[in-house]
Amino acid sequence: MPDYIDKLPRFVEDLRSMMDIIITNVVLIGQVPAPTFQEQARVALFCERLASFPVDECTTDGFINPIGIIRGKSRSRSPIFVVAHMDSPFSKKVDHHFTVRQHTITGTGILDNALGVGVLLSLPEIFQRLGLTFESDIILTGVIQSMGKGNLRGIRHLLKTWSTPIRGAVCIESGELGRLNYYSDGMIRGEVICRVDPQQERAHHFVPNAIVVLNEVINQILELRLPLKPRSKIIFGTIQGGLKHGQIAHEAVLGLEIRSDADELVRGLYDDIKDIVAGISHEYEVALTFETISNQRAARLKYTHPLVKSAAAIMARLGVEPVSEPSESELSIFLSRNIPAVTLGITHGEGYQQLEAVMQIEPMFIGIAQILGTLLAIDSGVCDAIA
Amino acid sequence: MNDPWIKTHTFHYKAFCDLEQLTATKMEKGLKISLCLPTLNEEKTIAKEIVIFKSELISRYPLLDEIVVIDSGSTDRTREIARAYGADVYKAADILPHLAPYTGKGENLWKALYITQGDIIIYLDADIKNIHHRFAYGLLGPLLMHDHLKFTKAFYDRPITATDQTVRPTGGGRVTELVIRPLFSLFFPELTQILQPLSGEYAGYRDVFEQIPFPIGYGVETSMILDLYEKWGLEIMAQVDLEKRVHRNQDTKALGKMAFAIIKTFINRQVAMGMIDLKDVVHDDMIQYTLMDDELTPDIVTIEGLERPPMIEIPEYLEKYHQ
Repeated sequence: MPDYIDKLPRFVEDLRSMMDIIITNVVLIGQVPAPTFQEQARVALFCERLASFPVDECTTDGFINPIGIIRGKSRSRSPIFVVAHMDSPFSKKVDHHFTVRQHTITGTGILDNALGVGVLLSLPEIFQRLGLTFESDIILTGVIQSMGKGNLRGIRHLLKTWSTPIRGAVCIESGELGRLNYYSDGMIRGEVICRVDPQQERAHHFVPNAIVVLNEVINQILELRLPLKPRSKIIFGTIQGGLKHGQIAHEAVLGLEIRSDADELVRGLYDDIKDIVAGISHEYEVALTFETISNQRAARLKYTHPLVKSAAAIMARLGVEPVSEPSESELSIFLSRNIPAVTLGITHGEGYQQLEAVMQIEPMFIGIAQILGTLLAIDSGVCDAIA
Repeated sequence: MNDPWIKTHTFHYKAFCDLEQLTATKMEKGLKISLCLPTLNEEKTIAKEIVIFKSELISRYPLLDEIVVIDSGSTDRTREIARAYGADVYKAADILPHLAPYTGKGENLWKALYITQGDIIIYLDADIKNIHHRFAYGLLGPLLMHDHLKFTKAFYDRPITATDQTVRPTGGGRVTELVIRPLFSLFFPELTQILQPLSGEYAGYRDVFEQIPFPIGYGVETSMILDLYEKWGLEIMAQVDLEKRVHRNQDTKALGKMAFAIIKTFINRQVAMGMIDLKDVVHDDMIQYTLMDDELTPDIVTIEGLERPPMIEIPEYLEKYHQ
């Protein structure tokens, strides 16, 4: 058993003594709103604070992803990445002030991804206080334009322009503690948009209702036969349309996501939906489009990959039961480039996407300890044997 | 002609953001610094304040020697939470318990002088939603870096559009602009240079605070300015721009009570200074009316304007700090 495994319980104790620094980073960074495409203020604060911690370099890449570098002891080792997405799904107009209580922190975006970014920011101080050193350089990166229409642009750009091989990566999410993501589905996320021009002359004797048209789109998608293997699904996630109760809707938007562990099936379903949309557009004489917002390719590590096995062992040592599901986060971009990576959650919480999201403080120390353990595992070579 | 005070004694907190330098100066001067947070039912904000100051100004940079919460008798979990995050917590009534007990912010600030160890004491309100360690180091900076300064006062952004269409921070809240600024303009025009005399955040040397009386309630900020001005003049004071401050908004009736206490304190000071001569007593009751069931009913609150004497006159304090 690697010696760092036995140190994990002590890490938890030591991290508890750093509670004030970790919470301060989480609060200060999380209280700066950072909706996707508007992360600049949060990036500026991140860089300002990161520079005040023990990092060897603090910079931004050409895409304005903030990057901190902690130099390793060996010049021959490739770097290890730790990433957390900087953006949140909440508008700048929403009150972002957090409330810290004895056992919890409440506030908008605390679980997506203020805690993740705050912990990322705290890592240099944590390494120093716990006396942790690495052979590899540790690259701490807050990636921007990750969520929704951001389509993981920040991490895509970073990895596309990074010039050296990368040894492995840990992606940090605020929660849920216990998540161990090591594979990602192929995915296309898109919007079916229906616009009805009421002035247009039609063969029909009525003006179509955009909501009814989308209803027809949904019905026809539901008639598609999805195989159980390869695993696949279509998720209807959002719907918006119309102005008021007594008026026919002239515009409506349906947000959906196609997922599968087989890229070709995702592409096939995408084409099917395109056909459905084209057919209904013709039939109802409306402007109906299916626009792609984001996409990713299916990629995975095997459960038997040493990184996954090590992460599971680390979690077990800390008394955490690993839960594995596909993840459509930064992980997929690492994996698609054959860089071994996992996504880990830091703590337990409730109301992830709500204004009053609540995170628990105490489990956070275990969550951070598992990140440290995983970094030590990568540094000891668990990603080196199998590319 | 000398530059006016507002030009030479107004700072921005960013001038003092080199915390290593501030800490080195503090060590060099052999000073102890205390942060005091007066509280009454602040369970929603107190933990955040303590955790940020502890992280930034104790754990990372040892600028503060202690964080002390003086509580007026909260009925929520303020004291429990503050203690859990490592502050030294006291109920005001338990400090110098042989004295008649009063309740009010001024009482807490005054008793903090007895409890704290610092040569410099920073007083901050405990209800600041956007709390940041600049609130403390910004006030501390001028005191550490300029030997002639003994007292610093915060001011914040309250943006107005100037004639050149730029947005500038200026002035204070409603009570400042409607009550204290007119009074200062009438009687102490020089003090109008203090942009937000009622701000609840200030810092100063113990040997200054211990020599002035403290009204137990809202009048404490007004009396402090007037007493410091009378004893030492404006030259020992400075004001610091701490940029934005977000706190809970008070309704007009609450502000009315605040204004009553401030005006009363002001009048008392004027009488004491011999500036005005009252021909009759001023009353202690603030009377406001509430419309209930189509009937106007008086809402009377007694605000006596009690004051604590300068702490240096308290024997226990003398024994603790001056023997």
